[in-house]
Amino acid sequence: MSDPRISSIDTPPDPRALRRQRIEAARAELVAATERGAGGRQALRQYSHRMDAMIQQLFAEAGPLSQPVGVFALGGYGRRQLCLHSDIDILILFAGPIGAPDERFLHAFLNPLWDLSLTIGHHVREVAEGANLASDNDEFLLALTDARAVVGDATLLDQFAGGTEATKTAVRTLDALKGLIAARHARFNDTLYQLEPDLKESPGGLRDLFAALTIAKLTDPGLLGRGGSGPRALDDAEEFMLRVRSILHLEAKRHHNVLTHELQERAAEYLDYTGATPRQRVERLMGEYFRHARAIDRSLRWALKAAPRPIGPNLVRTADGIAFLEVRAAAEHPETWLAAFDAAIAGGCAVADDSLAMIQQNAARYRAEDFYPTKARRADLLRFLKPRPGLYAQLSEMHDIGLLGQLFPEFKAISSRVVRDFYHKYTVDEHTLLTIRNVERLTGAPSERERFSRLLGELDEPELLVLALLYHDVGKSRDDDHHVESARMAREMFDRLDLAADARATIEFLVVEHLKMSVAAFRRDTEDPEIVRQFAALVGVEERLKMLCLLTLADVEAVSRETLTSWREELLWRLYVDTYNHLTLSYGDEVINGGPSLTVELVRNRPADLDARDIEDFLHGLPRRYLQLFSPEAIYRHVRHAKTLGSDAVDAWLERQDDGWGLTVLAHDRAFLFSNISGVLSSYGMDILRGFAFTKADGLILDMFYFTDQERFLELNPEAEEKVVHRLKDVIFGRQDLVARLKSREEGAGRRHLPGFAPVVHCDNDSSRRYTIVEIVAENAIGLLFRMSRTMSESGCEVDLVLINTEGRRAIDVFHLTRQGNKLSAEQQRELTENLLRVLEGRP
Amino acid sequence: MKLIKSIVRPNKVDDVKNALEKLQISGMTVTEVRGHGKQKGHTAIYRGQEYNVSLLPKMEIEVVVPDTIVDAAVKAITEAARTGEIGDGRIFVIPVGESYKIRTGEKEF
Repeated sequence: MSDPRISSIDTPPDPRALRRQRIEAARAELVAATERGAGGRQALRQYSHRMDAMIQQLFAEAGPLSQPVGVFALGGYGRRQLCLHSDIDILILFAGPIGAPDERFLHAFLNPLWDLSLTIGHHVREVAEGANLASDNDEFLLALTDARAVVGDATLLDQFAGGTEATKTAVRTLDALKGLIAARHARFNDTLYQLEPDLKESPGGLRDLFAALTIAKLTDPGLLGRGGSGPRALDDAEEFMLRVRSILHLEAKRHHNVLTHELQERAAEYLDYTGATPRQRVERLMGEYFRHARAIDRSLRWALKAAPRPIGPNLVRTADGIAFLEVRAAAEHPETWLAAFDAAIAGGCAVADDSLAMIQQNAARYRAEDFYPTKARRADLLRFLKPRPGLYAQLSEMHDIGLLGQLFPEFKAISSRVVRDFYHKYTVDEHTLLTIRNVERLTGAPSERERFSRLLGELDEPELLVLALLYHDVGKSRDDDHHVESARMAREMFDRLDLAADARATIEFLVVEHLKMSVAAFRRDTEDPEIVRQFAALVGVEERLKMLCLLTLADVEAVSRETLTSWREELLWRLYVDTYNHLTLSYGDEVINGGPSLTVELVRNRPADLDARDIEDFLHGLPRRYLQLFSPEAIYRHVRHAKTLGSDAVDAWLERQDDGWGLTVLAHDRAFLFSNISGVLSSYGMDILRGFAFTKADGLILDMFYFTDQERFLELNPEAEEKVVHRLKDVIFGRQDLVARLKSREEGAGRRHLPGFAPVVHCDNDSSRRYTIVEIVAENAIGLLFRMSRTMSESGCEVDLVLINTEGRRAIDVFHLTRQGNKLSAEQQRELTENLLRVLEGRP
Repeated sequence: MKLIKSIVRPNKVDDVKNALEKLQISGMTVTEVRGHGKQKGHTAIYRGQEYNVSLLPKMEIEVVVPDTIVDAAVKAITEAARTGEIGDGRIFVIPVGESYKIRTGEKEF
């Protein structure tokens, strides 16, 4: 070995020799402390610090960086407890993809460390890999809990960890930790009383100590202060274990952690245990060891038992229920409170008392908007209101502590409100909350009210029903017509929640009309078709009918225990069925025929480019139902397109909807038109969920399909919308054959076919004056609509009106048909039914 | 003294009650019942599937009246409950042997 003093005169100093010199000096420092019996926390911290400096120097010397890079100490090194022969675990994080210059940097950085004979455990990652953190290996996840920046861009670690939601990572880390503890303890027969214990691995050893600290860090920093052996005992145990471990490394001259009989004697000497004989000294040492091991073991068991489970940002599940980890911090963030109640519902538990107390003390400090300041928070609130078991209990809790009235200030008006009447048994606020409980009970399985439960399951936005229930009686704070006042108060909420126009209209309808169905069902002769027709005209569409039916059921049941008898249930259900049938089977007879009352608003508010005649001509002959299905803006758009539609042209356009896509087609009727449109959508794998088809007497058709794009064809391909419309026109004009393309799709889907249920085909010549109505309930499948409507067309039928609906795996479709302008005869119905069943059952 | 038992459409209860009150008949028992008459219910269709509605919701109204106003009471009930359609209901007139007030044990004639 060259003499550095000579080389400093004659040649530049050898950097490798200088580095070795520095490391040797650091090791000598640690050895000296260990020999004094002081190789504990302070000595190890000093050694870790020296190692940091070495790494910082090598990083600086490793050459230019092509992108931000950070080096982070992991595990024991991260905790600054690097022992003499410990592995040096580091994470090298690159901001972006690792390229050739980065590889060169890595070699330049790591080679000198290996030259120093250090055992390096290194992980090289890109920041983007943080997105998969929750599925990373157990040991790496645990090592990350002690990560700290050594050199380079320190922010990269946060970016890396931020790739995965922190709670998810914490839960995964805790699960990994528990698994590792159990496996490790099993290797030691689950006892800490080992004659030759492994200071690191044995039960009660250093790994258990770090496990307890990690659990506290990930769940509740104050956890170890409330149970187990206490922080002071743990500190003492750690210091003892580290001192002894340093001695083991020194004596064994390698990474060795087993306190063998021989090493017990050496450790007792280093640590100055007294005794006349080596055996006495060892007994004292081991007595001390077991005392500390028990302290660690007790704290770990406490941590495992009492640690809350992280369930969200600053939110944990404890034995008392859902709690904020940092209650004071939560008090300043009212937008986070709802998550606690949401988690309580999800977990089937309560919100912990201390968190409830905090909310009660602070709720009045905030305005309603502070609880849902962003679009995402408003969406969270709506999601929270989806009926499910536990919603009533949590809403009641929120009401009791004053939170519900802060979220919905109008609700305060009926707090403990007493309205004397012959029927109601509860205060108005409790009656309201009970209505929500009654809806909630329909979600539990199995429900005594299976038929109503199914209606609830079919709703697209059941949270709107809950919102309507919440507001249906708030107007009872005044003695006037309460439904009018309730609606006025609800409108104030609409603006705060920034609800969509459709949602506002639905809630307002339900609030204003909330008494109408009970009046019709219980006090009118529902066997009178005129009563049903009037009620159908009031509700307009099936979704509102279902909502009003459920609202009525819940409202009547919440009046008193005795109010909703099975007899009343039956009356309500019968009105629902009759109205549903009227809406779906008889609407074809009720057309817009020139009377001004239906169209006056549309004409008055028309845009400048449309004149009254355009609108009236377009609407004339369409079922009145059309007006209830489309907004004025959509109607004006239809009018515009119809106005410029050539006699042999097809006009079609696609639009993105909330949960999928919409296709609108305007054309003059031609053979197989409906089946061709539905077939084209199916040929792209689109799943048609809802739709309508209208045919006017003058032959103009308007078809509207709502569908989901399972394969994301429209989203991923920039010109996809044009392609779909182009193919649609090619198919309609006979320039392209659809059958072959659809067949391969259907065969592909058929291979994944699940056992289904028998299809139902029902023909009805009574419900409509003009049409034969064919109701089909069948298992939803690719190309189902195409096959059904094609069969109808092939049977000589004209498909004039169609309602398409999909509920789960069931397709529920209603076709209004004629044949040469007339209803189908009994024989024609039989033939059509047989043809349809053959197609639906896949028979040849 | 007669017991008049009427089975009427649910929406006709208020009309029947009002008609009986005009005859100074105020004591009555109203019960929600289900049943069918000659028409034996009917077939209903929901989503293409037929099902039998054999027991229809009806209201049963019971009043006990002196023999002298039985005819008037039956007429009042009939007029109030009639729609002219199938399913309007039935009236039964049943002799009552004796009647007692439970609170006082007093026998009524």
